[in-house]
Amino acid sequence: MNGLIHKTNGVHKNGKSHKTMYTEETDWRKDYWESFEETPLLAAVFTYICYGLVVLIGHIRDFLNDLGLLKVNACLEPRIPGFVPLFSTWESFYTRHVFRRVSDVLSIPVCGVPAARVEIMKRVTHNYGWSYELHKDERSTMLNFGSYNYLGFSQNKGPCYDAAKSVTHKYGITPCASRQEMGLLDIHAELDSLVAEFLGVEAAFTVPMGFATNSMNMPCLVSKGCLILSDELNHASLVLGSRLTGATIKTFKHNNMQSLEKRLKDAVINGQPRTHRPWKKILIVVEGVYSMEGSIICLPEIIRLKKKYKAYVYLDEAHSVGAMGPHGRGVVDYFGLDPKDIDVMMGTFTKSFGAAGGYIGGTKKLINHLKLTSHCSVYSPTMPPPVVQQVLSSMKIILGKDGTNDGQRRIKQLAWNCRYFRRNLHERGYIIYGNKDSPVVPLLLFMPTKLAAFSRECRKRDLATVVVGFPATPITKTRARFCLSAAHTKEDIDEALKIIEEVGDLIRLRYSRLPVPDFNENDIELIR
Amino acid sequence: MQVGTASGCENPTSYYFNQRGIWLTYVLVIFLAHLFILSMPFFTTAIAWTLTNVLHDIAMFVILHVTRGTPYMLDDAGTARKETQWEQLDQGKQFTPTKKFLTIVPIVLFFLASFYTKYDKVHFVINASFCALSVIAKIPWFHGKRFFEINKW
Repeated sequence: MNGLIHKTNGVHKNGKSHKTMYTEETDWRKDYWESFEETPLLAAVFTYICYGLVVLIGHIRDFLNDLGLLKVNACLEPRIPGFVPLFSTWESFYTRHVFRRVSDVLSIPVCGVPAARVEIMKRVTHNYGWSYELHKDERSTMLNFGSYNYLGFSQNKGPCYDAAKSVTHKYGITPCASRQEMGLLDIHAELDSLVAEFLGVEAAFTVPMGFATNSMNMPCLVSKGCLILSDELNHASLVLGSRLTGATIKTFKHNNMQSLEKRLKDAVINGQPRTHRPWKKILIVVEGVYSMEGSIICLPEIIRLKKKYKAYVYLDEAHSVGAMGPHGRGVVDYFGLDPKDIDVMMGTFTKSFGAAGGYIGGTKKLINHLKLTSHCSVYSPTMPPPVVQQVLSSMKIILGKDGTNDGQRRIKQLAWNCRYFRRNLHERGYIIYGNKDSPVVPLLLFMPTKLAAFSRECRKRDLATVVVGFPATPITKTRARFCLSAAHTKEDIDEALKIIEEVGDLIRLRYSRLPVPDFNENDIELIR
Repeated sequence: MQVGTASGCENPTSYYFNQRGIWLTYVLVIFLAHLFILSMPFFTTAIAWTLTNVLHDIAMFVILHVTRGTPYMLDDAGTARKETQWEQLDQGKQFTPTKKFLTIVPIVLFFLASFYTKYDKVHFVINASFCALSVIAKIPWFHGKRFFEINKW
């Protein structure tokens, strides 16, 4: 047959012996461990009672406001008789009485670059969260576990910084034109080819905004008459992009391959809703690492299903490119798969490269099509040159092209940090979600009051974390999210663990009832 | 729903009553409220049970069938603004487990109240009328119906 090499002991691909080919599929499962412990019933009951109490107090405050005894600091609908109401006061109830009270732990202003340590300015509110006063002279430097800085490139010193500075002098701040006009500079072409080489695909295409990479390019790939199967916890950019395509969207349960297979089977057997014609295309949209859950997608299984049912895969590696895999090339590298199996590889430069923007990688035909039809090629200017240079420098460091082993050191440090941090938190009895190798660690807090308490107590002890609550997460699953970084040393992580333990004992967070898992960080060798 | 910079997709009212532990919390709150009423020295057992039943029915009626819209801003272009909480549950689907549970609770409370009031006539009339109010409001035919222009716009 054309293109296949015939050996006497069977037909197999170039470079793979028959031994690896057949055991490949079951190998990855041995190393894949994740935990999503169920909410303990007592915590759930107390969470609802918590919310109930807050809502009750909100109602009492509104009632007292109507009577004139208490001033609620919000814009309430004046209710002029004879006129239709302009807006509904009831609709801002949640914002007034629940969100505002904890708003001092959200959107905290930072000064300076968010590296392993970040400087936070003190903020004081005199009216319960309605307005804040910044105390400019009171700044404190704290350990930063809240920034997406997986490989530690968020620095304002070093080779990336120097290169970006000189490029700004050479090219200016922005090309002021789109890709199809005059905006394509030689560094953009260099970036496109470097990204393609990094991912192992034929060609790549870059966009200045990560969100827009998804929302503006998905309509070029699928349209009405196609089916999009997207994971239920996909990011808002993927949801918006899917909606803009006009295709039919069906969701499957998060990371659940049986649910996906059922949807695929139904789609192939039944076809389009009324006419039962076959779907023009079936696109499976998944992310590499889900930042809210810390889970890693079962990519080998998705590729197996894709080949079985002849669908296409769109992989959003926003949080996994640079952060996962022995060479930092993302979740494809982590599982040791062939990048050519994924039809559309998308990712962003925001998290691991210390820059901004996104890319799409794939076959040359796909990228040529996107360059012609994408919204970003026509209506948006190309990436600013300093940002491009930042990506170029950081990618070259990761690839090892700058001659040092700094890239490998960072990758190994991040992998070691993930395992060490997660193992320690599991041993201490906290409920952690996610895969043992994912750099995002959600620690469950459950109650909205614990959300505020955890953040405030941690900041008092000089640890900056991000806490997430309803509606970004389900109502009982409010969490604190730690983002590990290669810039964190073992001492930093030990300090953070000590602080978390202090705060955890103070507000009682050890809910876990499962046995302690047995993975550890010893099988990762650090480079000094 | 959108709060600050966080947003989720659908109306939280439609699914929050399906979550783990909320039915238990609901029953627990009724139980605690009943204990509180029972601990008042000037209420007899019969009056305490009737009070629990009546107050529960009034509270649930106001919460589920009079309150319209959502306490948070949604992206649904105002479709939920005219619907009561009951109509928003499970996005208007009928005979879901949540709706069945919420219909059974006032009936069970009515049975318990009748038992503890020893089937007295006056108590029966009061309990039955409030239970009827509660149950009739939940019948599928009444989905979306408004009477005497109350709550219409």
